[in-house]
Amino acid sequence: MSRAEGVAGAVCYTAPREESRVGSLPSLMPRLRQGPGGAGRIDRLGWKAGTCFDAYGLRVGVRTNAPVLLEQLEPHLPPGWRACASPLVDQVFSVWVDPGGTGAPRPSRVYAGRRRRARTPDLALAFAVLETEIRQSVAASAERRTFVHAGVVGWRGRAILVPGRSRSGKTTLVAELVKAGALYLSDEFAVLDGRGRVHPFAKPLSIRGPGGCDAHARAWRAEDLGGTIGTRPLPVGLVVLAEHRPGAAWRPERLSRGQAVLELLAHTVPARLRPESSLASLERAVAGATVLKGVRGEAADLAPELLRVLEELEPVSRRVAGGRGTR
Amino acid sequence: MRPVARRDGLLIRELPGEVLVYDRERHRAHCLNQTAASVFRHADGTRTVADLALVLAPEAAPAAGASAVAMALDQLGEAGLLEDGPVTEGLSRRDVVRRVGIGAAFLLPAVASILAPTPAEAAATCATSCVGKPDATPCTCFSADPCTATCISDSCSDGGGC
Repeated sequence: MSRAEGVAGAVCYTAPREESRVGSLPSLMPRLRQGPGGAGRIDRLGWKAGTCFDAYGLRVGVRTNAPVLLEQLEPHLPPGWRACASPLVDQVFSVWVDPGGTGAPRPSRVYAGRRRRARTPDLALAFAVLETEIRQSVAASAERRTFVHAGVVGWRGRAILVPGRSRSGKTTLVAELVKAGALYLSDEFAVLDGRGRVHPFAKPLSIRGPGGCDAHARAWRAEDLGGTIGTRPLPVGLVVLAEHRPGAAWRPERLSRGQAVLELLAHTVPARLRPESSLASLERAVAGATVLKGVRGEAADLAPELLRVLEELEPVSRRVAGGRGTR
Repeated sequence: MRPVARRDGLLIRELPGEVLVYDRERHRAHCLNQTAASVFRHADGTRTVADLALVLAPEAAPAAGASAVAMALDQLGEAGLLEDGPVTEGLSRRDVVRRVGIGAAFLLPAVASILAPTPAEAAATCATSCVGKPDATPCTCFSADPCTATCISDSCSDGGGC
């Protein structure tokens, strides 16, 4: 067993081959490593299989009463997850499905700890809930990272952050930036470290269907858009706070460092939980960045302009290859 | 009047030309420009408005400095950063500009504030389950077009229920 990383008293290992595994995941029944009582009566629902992984320093376990479900789990895990050999975890999620037998089938259920998060006959929907819950839990609880709700791309060795609420047009702008040649890092979270660098959270882009409808949303890989996924942390070069208004011209104002931190804090997941470390990470992130706020028209028109702006801001000496071609 | 700025329950971070303040009790964050920050720093209960005006801009006309201090105190009070809340009659920016004059407009205080989001608010994508989510979070109805629905009291509703 090879040691991979120490995390707050628990060590995460790359599991050896001889251990029982489900795909890339170890087969382990997770247990909370601190706090009494576990998940209460949920613990007694007849769990038969489980697995554990690490995401951004948070150790997460998933258990189910139907072991076959673990084989479908991997695509629903957060980007950057790593298998762990220890069953001790910070958070436990549970998926219960009707084992069959007599009577009408009962809906599947998803639990985050002891709280039920979904009750649905649609297993795909149950997995979608599980995926969202795990991702949001990691975003709130991973103490060594600050998660900001934002799209992120890389250009010439620096990151462009596009913070915003759901349906604010983040993903649309990120997709256009990727089409324009930028590296794809995330369409959901900017993951900041203590130095203010932004790490990839490169799940497939979730691009909604006509009318912004989730029912017709499709997951796009960066490659589908002709792009490449960034794999290394980048310093932030540009933050774009853009409200979409059809036909609007982009005439942004430039924000001060304090104003920029305030704007980013409004999209920071652990803002209330860990204000001190959140503010410190945000300050460092914007220390070398230009922060622009304004109303934008179409993303396809703005994307090349933003890349040009970042290039002009950037000292020539700092231009390093960050993507395809001359990036 | 000797105003006193709050210190307890605040996280204060100095930036070049600005101060960030996070209120741990109210979960509000504030960005103070140089003038507001100076008043906030020196309002310790020992200084009058005239004293604070001198600290702010010793070379400015006393009336101009006092107006700027009064406006700063008003904004700091509104933001919950004074021990006794708002302390002045609520000067408008226009009033203060008139009193300090265009030449001393750099004295104008500014306090920008936000309410820090909860984790669920900040991370909100389109929710597939409303349990534990704040009201008005966009959500997916299990059986209908999800685009128009929002969370209300832990349930997803598109107006007529989902």
